Amino acid sequence: MTGLESLGRRTSPWVLVLHTVTFRQARALVPAVLALGVTRGLGDGLGTVIALVAGITLLSLLGAAISWWRFSYTDGDAAVVVTRGLLTRSARTVPNDRIRGVEVEAPALHRLLGLVRVRIDAAAGSVTSEEELLIDGVTRAEGDRLRNRLLTHAASAQDLLAGRHAAAEPEEELLRFDYRWLVYAPLVGSYLAVPLAAGGALLRAAEELPEQFLPEFWSPDVSDTRIVVRLVVSALLLLILGSIIGSALVNWRFRLLRRGGALVAVRGLVTRRHTELDIDRIRGCTISEGLGMRLVGAARVSALVTGLGDATRRGQVLPLGPVELARALSTELVDHPGPLRRHPPAARRRSIARGTTPGLLVAAAGGVVLALTGWWPLLAAGAALVLLGVPLGLARYNALGHVAGPRSFALRSGWLVRSHTVLQDRAVVGWEVRQSLVQRRAGLATVLACVGAGSGGYTARDMAADEVAEFTRAASGEWAATLTPYD
Amino acid sequence: MSAPPPAPVREPAWSLSRSAIGLWVTQAVLGTIVYAVIVATAIVLVPTDAGWWVPLLRWGGPAFVVVYGIVTIGVRPRLRYRVHRWEVTAEAVYTLTGWLTRTWTLVPISRIQTVDVNRGVFQQLFGLATVAVLTASSQGTVRVPHLEVDVARRVADDLARRAELVRDEAT
Repeated sequence: MTGLESLGRRTSPWVLVLHTVTFRQARALVPAVLALGVTRGLGDGLGTVIALVAGITLLSLLGAAISWWRFSYTDGDAAVVVTRGLLTRSARTVPNDRIRGVEVEAPALHRLLGLVRVRIDAAAGSVTSEEELLIDGVTRAEGDRLRNRLLTHAASAQDLLAGRHAAAEPEEELLRFDYRWLVYAPLVGSYLAVPLAAGGALLRAAEELPEQFLPEFWSPDVSDTRIVVRLVVSALLLLILGSIIGSALVNWRFRLLRRGGALVAVRGLVTRRHTELDIDRIRGCTISEGLGMRLVGAARVSALVTGLGDATRRGQVLPLGPVELARALSTELVDHPGPLRRHPPAARRRSIARGTTPGLLVAAAGGVVLALTGWWPLLAAGAALVLLGVPLGLARYNALGHVAGPRSFALRSGWLVRSHTVLQDRAVVGWEVRQSLVQRRAGLATVLACVGAGSGGYTARDMAADEVAEFTRAASGEWAATLTPYD
Repeated sequence: MSAPPPAPVREPAWSLSRSAIGLWVTQAVLGTIVYAVIVATAIVLVPTDAGWWVPLLRWGGPAFVVVYGIVTIGVRPRLRYRVHRWEVTAEAVYTLTGWLTRTWTLVPISRIQTVDVNRGVFQQLFGLATVAVLTASSQGTVRVPHLEVDVARRVADDLARRAELVRDEAT
């Protein structure tokens, strides 16, 4: 890392080891080679396998070496430049004042070699575009140096504008993960998916293995109910255990700190992530409670930050915790506008109508089938769906709410995952009001607040039509008075 | 629909160019032809004894094409023209689009990031252009469709210039 300063810095040569071991470049070839080996037979067995492994490793080393050789980065006074590519050289320049966040992460193998991966977020026009620089494999010290330097640059540009001083930055711990919260994990969809995904991957791997390497599986006698019950119970236990372990791995030693003008979230056991969010760029937050989480009073909180890529994961400021804590944390991030206003009764009727529509369609099809062939189960299924649709519609109506306060506004919706979003007035970059024929007759309208953070838009479905103009004006600014009807 | 209930928000002031009707009719004619060809091919190629659903295809297919043609050629363009409106005020760009479902979109000029003028193949035939106003939100895009080309250019230039003057953080 010396002597090349003028040309740009390089990543540590140790990434060669890392990328060779993980077959980063040659990974795409492995399935093809495996398939070849399987179709042509593995020949004399051991010799071929060794040759294959050596070949792939060499290829991988070559690929890693080339990309290491052609990769360099410079963190100048004005911008960060990353240059790479063998045949087509690409240089990406990101001005320092556009940098919205720096994440330093250390996956397990990186940690063994004392390396980290630095992700630099730069905001561009739309949130969806891939605006991110990745510097993979610098030493921990270099990673910290980059983070501090880039963030002080970004901050000092704003400090000059705001007339503030970035003095010595005291740290304040806002939150620390309590391991008792892990008991919520089995009720959270995304953590339940962890053991399922692991099981799926295992099954796929088993399928790709040649026949003779497969162990003789014990095939259970499914006619015996006791065995089936035991199997189901143990699968459930595994699922629960897996979700707890998965959540523990991801959220290990989660801490949320305030350091100067940034929120710092650190978490993870195997891959340690360190995310910094610029407080000036926080426009709001979302408290989400899944169906299972509501049963036990758990919630998660994400900050909505402008120009943050992969916002759902990286904006998380409380991955899992009690709902009271989630509310308290969210009031710390944005002012709450006050209690939510319910939507009008017409919205309840529409919600029930929406909930029962699929059931009615199935029932209608079932009626036709019954008349033609005398087959009744479809009609019965349709009727059951209609009956289930009523409480579903009611529950979805009950989740609806909106309110506009002096400096912020809030929207709530969703039954499977109920999300309560609070946004600052200045976050709104546009309004979209939608009204279908049915909504027009019922005196309702759907309002979408367009925001340059989070998912890009937040909806209040089935609001009373005559409240729309007043709400949009109160929730954004005078410019929204354009919407107010003349009369 | 003699006395429709009042709209939730006010209507933008200006209507589109009348050529837009011609454009929509052309598009609808083409769409109807495509469907007619698909249905005709299906009727010709599917053997009569393929199953119980063949009569459904033979009657339902042409009926669908006829209804689709009547609605999209005869009704939709005029209804759309009646609904579509746009306006550029001192502070914002404002549009109303749709025919059955209506959508009002409002973006303040201070939050505009880029302004594009797009001309599709058919739009060029009719001398029309679409002005697209983009913001920091992936969902906050206003499109003013089917303006006369010179109007669209003037609007885009004016918006870009004013956005430059009043741009705040734009996020």
